[in-house]
Amino acid sequence: MTFVVILLYKGVIIPQRQLFRFLIIIIGLILLAAPILSADSLDVATDSVQDVAGQIITDSVETTTSTEEVAEDSGWGYRTERNNALFLMVLFSVVILVYTRWAKQGKELFLRKINGLDEVEEAVGRATEMGRPVLFVPGLQELDEIETIAAISILGRVARITARYDTPLMVPVRYPLVLAAGQEVVQQAYIEEGKPDAYNVDMVRYVAGEQFAFTATVNGYMMRERPATNIFMGAFFAESLLLAETGNAAGSIQIAGTAQPSQLPFFIAACDYTLMGEELYAASAYLSREPLLLGGLKGQDFIKILLIAAILIGVLIVSLDIEAIAELYKSLFVSV
Amino acid sequence: MLEVLKIVAYTILICIPAAVLLYLTFKTDDRRYLFIAVAFYVVFPVVVTISFPTSLSPESITLYEAVDALPDSSTVLLTFDYYASTLAETEPMSRAALHHLFKKDCRVLTVTTIPLGGPTISERVTRDLAEEYDKVYGLDFVNLGYKANYVAVLKGMGSSISAIYPADNSGTPLSEIPMMADIKNYDDIDFIYVVADNGIVEYWISIVQSQYQAQVGCGVTAVMAPKIYAYVSSGQMTGLLGGMKGAAEYEKMVGHPGSATQGMGAQSMAHLFIIVSVISGNLMFFIDRKRGRKRKLS
Amino acid sequence: MRTIVPVIIAFLSGMVMILAFFFDPEKSILGELEQNVLSWVTIVGGFTLLLGVVSIFRVNLIAVKRRHDGWGYKLVTLISILAMAIPAIIPSKLSPLFGTGTDSIYDWLFNYLDAPMMATMFAMLAFYISSAAFRAFRARNTEATLLLIAATLVMLWRVPMGEIALAYIHPDLPQAINTYIMGGINMAVQRGIIIGAALGAAAMSLRILLGIERTYLGK
Repeated sequence: MTFVVILLYKGVIIPQRQLFRFLIIIIGLILLAAPILSADSLDVATDSVQDVAGQIITDSVETTTSTEEVAEDSGWGYRTERNNALFLMVLFSVVILVYTRWAKQGKELFLRKINGLDEVEEAVGRATEMGRPVLFVPGLQELDEIETIAAISILGRVARITARYDTPLMVPVRYPLVLAAGQEVVQQAYIEEGKPDAYNVDMVRYVAGEQFAFTATVNGYMMRERPATNIFMGAFFAESLLLAETGNAAGSIQIAGTAQPSQLPFFIAACDYTLMGEELYAASAYLSREPLLLGGLKGQDFIKILLIAAILIGVLIVSLDIEAIAELYKSLFVSV
Repeated sequence: MLEVLKIVAYTILICIPAAVLLYLTFKTDDRRYLFIAVAFYVVFPVVVTISFPTSLSPESITLYEAVDALPDSSTVLLTFDYYASTLAETEPMSRAALHHLFKKDCRVLTVTTIPLGGPTISERVTRDLAEEYDKVYGLDFVNLGYKANYVAVLKGMGSSISAIYPADNSGTPLSEIPMMADIKNYDDIDFIYVVADNGIVEYWISIVQSQYQAQVGCGVTAVMAPKIYAYVSSGQMTGLLGGMKGAAEYEKMVGHPGSATQGMGAQSMAHLFIIVSVISGNLMFFIDRKRGRKRKLS
Repeated sequence: MRTIVPVIIAFLSGMVMILAFFFDPEKSILGELEQNVLSWVTIVGGFTLLLGVVSIFRVNLIAVKRRHDGWGYKLVTLISILAMAIPAIIPSKLSPLFGTGTDSIYDWLFNYLDAPMMATMFAMLAFYISSAAFRAFRARNTEATLLLIAATLVMLWRVPMGEIALAYIHPDLPQAINTYIMGGINMAVQRGIIIGAALGAAAMSLRILLGIERTYLGK
């Protein structure tokens, strides 16, 4: 794999400009070819099964069962029972890529106002005026969580603003990988704002691996340093209220964002602005206004409309008690 | 009738200190009076034992029945996905589950995705219960311990448990443990009993239940329970224990009342006090609004 | 170089996992490849723990050396790290006090110091919830009033004492709360947020895999 990466990077296999297009085409071809190839080998294998059994399978139910059994025996090992997932994945990818392309071509894409994100710059400005720091907590999950990656993206934007205004920034993290990513992103932001000397490696610091040891440290920091602005973005759990209530008691402006529904009520009760669910994922696109990222957002909305339609159709079918269609329709969405 | 009298007595007990402390809170705008009141209502039922009959919720009955329906000597994976901080809510669930599983002579495999304390808690709890039921390590139960990166661990165990855990928690190779001889991956596990205090429970659904069709049931902290309802209703999660109340329900079903059952008194009092404080907070809100005053707790 | 290589690695690793989902792990090379990727992730994850220890040690040591404000607390942190780590690292063959087994120093420190401290922090939630509820739970308008009523009913239903009180009003009331509030309204809202967030996560994953989203790399 490392060898392939080097060859691809050096442009030996394909020019670098065309790299992703090439990779996507290859992967797409594999995915498209797999079911077809499996279907061919499936027929051959079905015949052989029937020969061995010495009987002709006529019953449709039995045919289905044997097809499933044989599908597992096909040379490619393609799992035909996951066709629905493949279809949804391809559809989702195509829609996102189409919207991204449109965005790239300069098509105007409407994005509704997200108050919490609009307030970020103002909140950092307030911290600058008061001469107090900005606290950014990128959640309490590992870097392989998309929520944490979204939080790190937002951190990059926040760090640019703090760099611009020369506002102290403090980013406590719970996982070492988040530490490495956070330091990288903040350093890059300070370089891009032309203030590499203002960057301090300890702006992003590993605090503790344990949830409440982490919370105790951050709460202590909030009470001692009294940051003017607290930004909580990412995955939070039981500590959400402890953090937000302490920040509230310290008199900070608080902006929170999480995709954890169970923690939303706590943030809403104790913070000034709260990003709910997917608003967190939209944040990097919203703050950067980069057409490429905005395209992804619009694609996501389109898929959501399709899903809402699918749910409504399902509700209708079940309500009208059309059993035959209901089972068929349900099978389209069953994950295996 | 006796229960109603009890409620009346407790209501009076609640009212006096609550009234005094809430009055002081309003008077001084100092939230520490509220804290004193909460502490009082949590400690009081522990000192003066208060018990109430626990009714059973359909979700916990589903979980109990799913475990009970397993054939004797089935293999069950029990997870200890919680930190020491939530022991009060989660450990009674693990204990009640082990009572049930050991009673049924199930073979119990334990794992944890929590680095700090996860292996220690699982060792302590399983060995405690195993002693009570004369179970032998390596034959009746095995503690696999912790491995970093839970997503990779959960997915990897679907193909091969020994590839992810070459040895158990104490370093004994799995090949030398008799119980592990016929347990290769999720296909050889009849039920997965998740006890968790964090988002890991959703990975047991999205990775293990959805992709490997394993039967998964769970016990989670009270704050997480509302989210899990969606998965119980869709059939992806077989039953649910929500918080200390869920643990008390399971303790009742297995016939081993423990710390969760004892904790119901404290929880009842604290809940009632919070309800009283919310109602009085609202009354003050309306009075303040009439007077045009804004208050901020310090 | 600093961007393109990580993006290519992210793309290829992600694609291995996606493709492996559609193929039987025992029938194709993808199964083996997937297992390898997962093993790498586990190994890399293990090493990153070291990164955290180095970071926390460095930050606190500098503070102690330079006598920053509160350096005494930082010293306690350093001593605590060493007190937990050193006896746990020494092999238990030398003495049962070492290692992480039962009756070891690590075990003792965990059970009698760490666990109660963590439980205390979690227990503080009860106090914070009471003050947040007291301050923020207001019947400001119709929606807030409905929320207040629903929350009160659920709080009563979640405890035996409240359940008895509710059943005294109407025997079916506790079950009705479970069915209509928890299994009805709550579940519908949770599903809406879960689906929305899952779509957001999937879209973001796709953007990362295709290298469109590079903000997490500082771009």
